Amino acid sequence: MAVAAQHSPLAEHIHPEPQGFIRKYVFSIDHKIIGIQYMVTGLIFFVIAGCLAELIRTQLLNGNARFLTPDQYNEVYSMHGTAMVWFVTIPLVTGGFGNIIMPLMIGARDVAFPWLNMLSFWLFPPAGALLFASFLVGAPEAGWTEYPPVSLQGPPGTTLWCLAIILIGVSSTLTGLNFMVTIFKMRAPGMTLTRMPLFVWAQFATAGLNMIATVALSAALSALFMERVFGVPFYDPNHGGSPILWQHMFWFYSHPAVYIFILPAFGIISEVLPVFARKPIYGYKMIAFSSVTIALLGFMVWAHHMFTSGMAPWLQLPFMILTMLIAIPTGIKIWSWMGTLWGGVIHYTTAMLFAMGFLITFTIGGLTGIMLAAVPADLHEHGTYFVVAHFHYVIFGGTFMGVLAGIYYWWPKVTNRLLSEKIGVLQFWLTFIFMNLTFFPMHILGLEGMPRRVAVYAPQYTDMNRFISISSYVLAFTFVLLFINMAWSLKYGKKAGPNPWGARTLEWMIPSPPPYYNFKNIPAVLSGPYDFGSPLPYIGLEEELEKAPGGGPLPAGAH
Amino acid sequence: MAQDKPTSGSGQYSNLGPYFWTFTAFLAVLAIISIVWLVQQDFSNWLPEAAIPADQIDALFKFMGVWVILIFYIVAGYTIYFAIAFRYRKGMPPDAIGVQVHGNAKLEFWWTFLPTVLIIVVAIFSVEIWRGLQNTQGGVLTMEAIGHQFGFQFRYPRLSQPVADDMHVPVDTPITLNVTSVDVIHGFWVPEIRLKADMVPGLVQTLRFTPTKIGTYRIICSEFCGRDHGDMVATLHIDSQQDFGRWLAQESKAQSLAAAAPLDLSKGQAQAGQVLFSQKCSACHSVGPFDQRVVGPGLGHLLNDPSHPKLVDGDPPNPSNIAKIIEDGFQGPLGVMPNRQANGLSNLDIANLVAYLVSLSGQK
Amino acid sequence: MAVAGGTLEHEHGAGHHEMSDALYEEIRGHRLLGFTLFLISDCILFSAFIFAYLYLRNTIDHWPPPGIEGPNLLFGALNSVVLFGSGATMHYALESWKHGNTKLFYRWLGLTLFLGLWFLLGQGYEYSDLYYRQHATWAGSIFGASFFTLTGLHGFHVFVGLIYLSVVWLQTRAGVYTRQRFFGLTAATLYWHFVDVIWVFLFFLFYIF
Repeated sequence: MAVAAQHSPLAEHIHPEPQGFIRKYVFSIDHKIIGIQYMVTGLIFFVIAGCLAELIRTQLLNGNARFLTPDQYNEVYSMHGTAMVWFVTIPLVTGGFGNIIMPLMIGARDVAFPWLNMLSFWLFPPAGALLFASFLVGAPEAGWTEYPPVSLQGPPGTTLWCLAIILIGVSSTLTGLNFMVTIFKMRAPGMTLTRMPLFVWAQFATAGLNMIATVALSAALSALFMERVFGVPFYDPNHGGSPILWQHMFWFYSHPAVYIFILPAFGIISEVLPVFARKPIYGYKMIAFSSVTIALLGFMVWAHHMFTSGMAPWLQLPFMILTMLIAIPTGIKIWSWMGTLWGGVIHYTTAMLFAMGFLITFTIGGLTGIMLAAVPADLHEHGTYFVVAHFHYVIFGGTFMGVLAGIYYWWPKVTNRLLSEKIGVLQFWLTFIFMNLTFFPMHILGLEGMPRRVAVYAPQYTDMNRFISISSYVLAFTFVLLFINMAWSLKYGKKAGPNPWGARTLEWMIPSPPPYYNFKNIPAVLSGPYDFGSPLPYIGLEEELEKAPGGGPLPAGAH
Repeated sequence: MAQDKPTSGSGQYSNLGPYFWTFTAFLAVLAIISIVWLVQQDFSNWLPEAAIPADQIDALFKFMGVWVILIFYIVAGYTIYFAIAFRYRKGMPPDAIGVQVHGNAKLEFWWTFLPTVLIIVVAIFSVEIWRGLQNTQGGVLTMEAIGHQFGFQFRYPRLSQPVADDMHVPVDTPITLNVTSVDVIHGFWVPEIRLKADMVPGLVQTLRFTPTKIGTYRIICSEFCGRDHGDMVATLHIDSQQDFGRWLAQESKAQSLAAAAPLDLSKGQAQAGQVLFSQKCSACHSVGPFDQRVVGPGLGHLLNDPSHPKLVDGDPPNPSNIAKIIEDGFQGPLGVMPNRQANGLSNLDIANLVAYLVSLSGQK
Repeated sequence: MAVAGGTLEHEHGAGHHEMSDALYEEIRGHRLLGFTLFLISDCILFSAFIFAYLYLRNTIDHWPPPGIEGPNLLFGALNSVVLFGSGATMHYALESWKHGNTKLFYRWLGLTLFLGLWFLLGQGYEYSDLYYRQHATWAGSIFGASFFTLTGLHGFHVFVGLIYLSVVWLQTRAGVYTRQRFFGLTAATLYWHFVDVIWVFLFFLFYIF
């Protein structure tokens, strides 16, 4: 398994092109189309969830506002979190980037189970519709975490919430399974595990998490569903259940979930930095190793969300120490990425700016994570805006900075157009600055006594909340810039060609956008893709960029 | 196409970059100034330390803060430095490449080993503070805080009734505070004490602290508990020992008076009744429909159940008749319900319970 | 565009018979790994509910809770023998197929289906005893919550397994499998053994522990 098959009949087999609009773009089994479907759907949910965030910030312009009723506010913040976690972040980084890029990077024609891949995507919009339908019957109000007993009291939409998340969980689990088999079995000849691009390592570790952790959440959700609908006592202490049981079951998934968010973003950063510093990624082996370590450790730390919950006090210690240990593999990556910048020839493309900005904002989030890991400090910080600041720094300042870097990096491959660097650089600076202005003050708010999940607050927090809200409006606007850039690029953007960035991973060795079969001939791989001084380490790519007259090149052996 | 020799420009830079040591010196000065500033801060200026062990927790914050500042400066500082020092400059060949180095075993060892040591140090310090918390004194005054939707109630050993919304404690007295809830999970948090515990129904958590600073502070619900979670706030009064004694005596007197007063249903508080119900009645009664029996019938629809138009003793359902059953107890086919003496209920208790049961009937 | 996961069959019409040995072997490898990973994730599903059961059980002193006798050890043991027996018969079915004995294959497969159905009926009897005689309902206690949910989830897996085996029967009749190419039979056997392994744990956790 460690060495890719020398001869793959599967890789030689090219099918006729799918015919008709439905087969090509709607019910497609092509990983590239499916990936684009995930990106578009995920970005749509991002806009919706972002609007919900702005509703939150508008309510919080004043400490006693009546912009939203308390029930409405609770619905809004709960749906904001739910949508961002399951309908934006995970789909974008796994279903989106993973699908489009990973098979290309390993020199495969598709993923291992393309039909399953299509099914995974088509579970996504119905699950989202089911989730948002809950607004019609009373959306869930107890946060994306829905702790019982309060979630047992919740409106009917809470039941829909359970079903929607179970549904999208199936989608995630299948994608994880699909990616694991693809990466294990379908790498091009010569692409050993240590010659794999780091984005693929990241998707590999993430796929493992997706496959194992999500099922545990389904158990928790179905138990909540059974209790709400049939009265089966799992969590209600009045009937023998335990509220803390929910927390264990929920966080056993939801902590690894945050590594599902961040590992693919780490992978994107590991691709972007070398290309625009024109030198190898520093410390490849340790970055790969640390991805797996983080995934494994990520299963052992869930109860750091439960330090104040009433679980046995002695349990606090092992969870505190294991959580702190995760800082070490994470730190290794940060130093390696900085080592990648050192001695480079750095080009300030937008993708690179987002990648470098990531190093700063993610580190802030990681450091506040250590502050939360220390139990005595967490006793003060838990349930406050300090936590809200932390996770927005790691998710927005971490994952989303990575997503934006990835968009600016791979857009030309998918569309054959360059995004405007002028708009891009403007977007970067505004996003970076206003992200910090929006979320940094939340650390202070939390430490000074403002709890989270509140529609109203004490008067001393007014100025800071107003500052945050206004910054958030500007931050929201920066995404409008992104969409303008995308539209502009599709109409006026310069043609990109196969490799506008002079990168060395396999996706850049084929046309933009790639033909449906990806590679005319699957190449053999001689070494890793990060040696910018040397010839390309591939054999057999000669025919890839030829074009037969009259369009549509026919690969040898197709029938 | 690609050059054989790695080049990062005109070759006049040191390996580490132009002005690397100047920058490092600048960063070091910045870091030292920041760290010294942090260490000299008295956190109680930002948020008072009103009790032991708030000071120990602040010490942990300060200790971690030092390392957070240092690591942040290193990462942000050198990222920005490298981004600028090693940028592509006009005049460099367009295919210029950077130093083709894959890593350095020695460097990677140190940057793994040193952070590991640092994490161990932080962990050890944290464990020390944690152990200090486990050993915090308590017990000179033991009391309870009970959360409900949406307020706090406090029980004292010498008071027969709970006190709502205002928690009084004497300064310099080790306190054991047992917290729980009667409905959903709430959180008990006083920022000035730096301690917090979830109030979980069916479970009691214990906080131990010694108030050190007289004043009034907010008690904040720190765990989402429903619609009015944002409004769920109470007041902690840290009193001088004499003032506390006086308050306790006053409260005790007021409660005895209220207990001795004749039954006045109009004084009943549904929220107090809810707390009482969970303590005295829920062993035998649910708040569901009549047929949702634990031992006795469910009491959720006493006033408006079409299938049970009368109370169990045959009387029409109204507050006074409900009060009568609580006072006298009842014996029927489902069992024996103790009377008020057996249950230890004062007139005020009965008024509160009736108010609560009436409020249940008013809900869907 | 697609190269695996059933598409080859669809595109070639007549099943996998036309593809080369090497291609079949490669695809079989993918499917075996994928199916194994699926079974692992299914293990996690059961593990999560088992955790919930043990956690809830740990909150009270006596198990089953007062008023409930619990499931019958002897009856459960006998029913387990039936289920494990069906695992053995499924093993022999696969072996018969590999050795070219189609008639014996159908006999063993039929016996597996029969024993699997017998197990489910036995579970049904166990459930009715708990529900009607002992008044232990699904929603009535944490015993009901854990026992019926876990054994119900398992029973559901057995039920799906019976459908799976029936489909495999029909596929064999239609000539889908050859002596060399019979991954569907292997997968069905793996699934059936998986259901047995889960039952080992559940039997221990509810009937013995």
